[in-house]
Amino acid sequence: MAMRAALRCLSVNLSPRLPQLSSAAQVSATRLLCRSGFPRTLSTDSGQCTALKFTEKHEWVLVESGIGTVGISNYAQEALGDVVYCGLPEVGQRLEQMDEFGALESVKAASELYSPLTGEVTAINTELAGNPGLVNKSCYADGWLIKMTIEKPEELHKLMDQPAYDKFIKSLEE
Amino acid sequence: MTVRPLVEVVRLGLVPYKEGLRLQQVYVNRHRSAPVHALLLCQHSPVYTTGIRHKPYPGPLLDQLRLLGADVHHTNRGGLITFHGPGQLVCYPVLNLGSFKKSVRWYVSQLEKTIITLCGRFGVEAASSPHTGVWVGDNKICAIGIHCGHYVTSHGLALNCNTDLSWFGHIVPCGIEGKGVTSLSRELQRDVSVQETIPHLLDAFREQFNCQLTEGETPEPEQNFGVSSA
Repeated sequence: MAMRAALRCLSVNLSPRLPQLSSAAQVSATRLLCRSGFPRTLSTDSGQCTALKFTEKHEWVLVESGIGTVGISNYAQEALGDVVYCGLPEVGQRLEQMDEFGALESVKAASELYSPLTGEVTAINTELAGNPGLVNKSCYADGWLIKMTIEKPEELHKLMDQPAYDKFIKSLEE
Repeated sequence: MTVRPLVEVVRLGLVPYKEGLRLQQVYVNRHRSAPVHALLLCQHSPVYTTGIRHKPYPGPLLDQLRLLGADVHHTNRGGLITFHGPGQLVCYPVLNLGSFKKSVRWYVSQLEKTIITLCGRFGVEAASSPHTGVWVGDNKICAIGIHCGHYVTSHGLALNCNTDLSWFGHIVPCGIEGKGVTSLSRELQRDVSVQETIPHLLDAFREQFNCQLTEGETPEPEQNFGVSSA
């Protein structure tokens, strides 16, 4: 929870000063916060936070205290266009890795979402019902989609880290 | 050398909506083994369909529509309520966007451009707008609503050729208040059939998507040997 508050502060503070700051830079800034242990509110039960991991379907997952927060990447939100509706699962729903867990609608196109990990949904972002555009405006922070437990931590190792994901999307654009 | 993707054109004729869904699924499933693109063309018997945002359309409202003699279906596509019926050219491209461009935004824009080009061939000036679909002024001539899973597209577009537009009077088409609908026949003040329109659609599609088209075989209708399907 502290992490998310910090992320929100980060996006709010950085935007006016650095209008060109990309989401990728936001993510790097997040990792800087983790390493330096600043601010103090960032320390979690496990004493360590992990960086964003990505799937080939452009979902990201961020783990803290054994809970994974899931969203879609900047590349994905740009490819979708303005999100007008988020179809999300029920809390308590169990998902296997790569299971379809919902859909986002933009430009009259419903695009499916795939679970990055195996686990149980513990929370869904209820802000998105009234403000689905958060997925575009703040895809790594306020536009998060679901939170889930992590049944198989080894699945995280198979996901891409930021540099690998950046390389992956470069290869798609060629 | 650029290899243009090969798309199989499948002409289904007049089919109930449910049959159209079943056949789309057949072609979607083909993509599991390899990217084998298809362009399904059909007309539907009268039906109102809703998309993933179906909460604005409660049961009683849909029952009213059934009383008009139309079918009603909820689907997994984007877009709100619309009508399909005879005289409307319905096109379901079942493409693997991996062979084109992996962006639904791009794909929907390509569909819009295809129809705008097609209308141009008929001398009808059409345009896109912030509301997805193809418009002639304030009237929508072609509705678009798609689904994309694992980069495979389904659902598609519905172009009014000589559709009985009064069916649209019972709904707010696509949920957009204050706008109307039109058809090629209404714009040109002459009868423009689906048959006349198809070749122009295929030309425009081939050009816009930079692909090759080939004639496919219509799959057999589902055989029901008295055993209920799962």
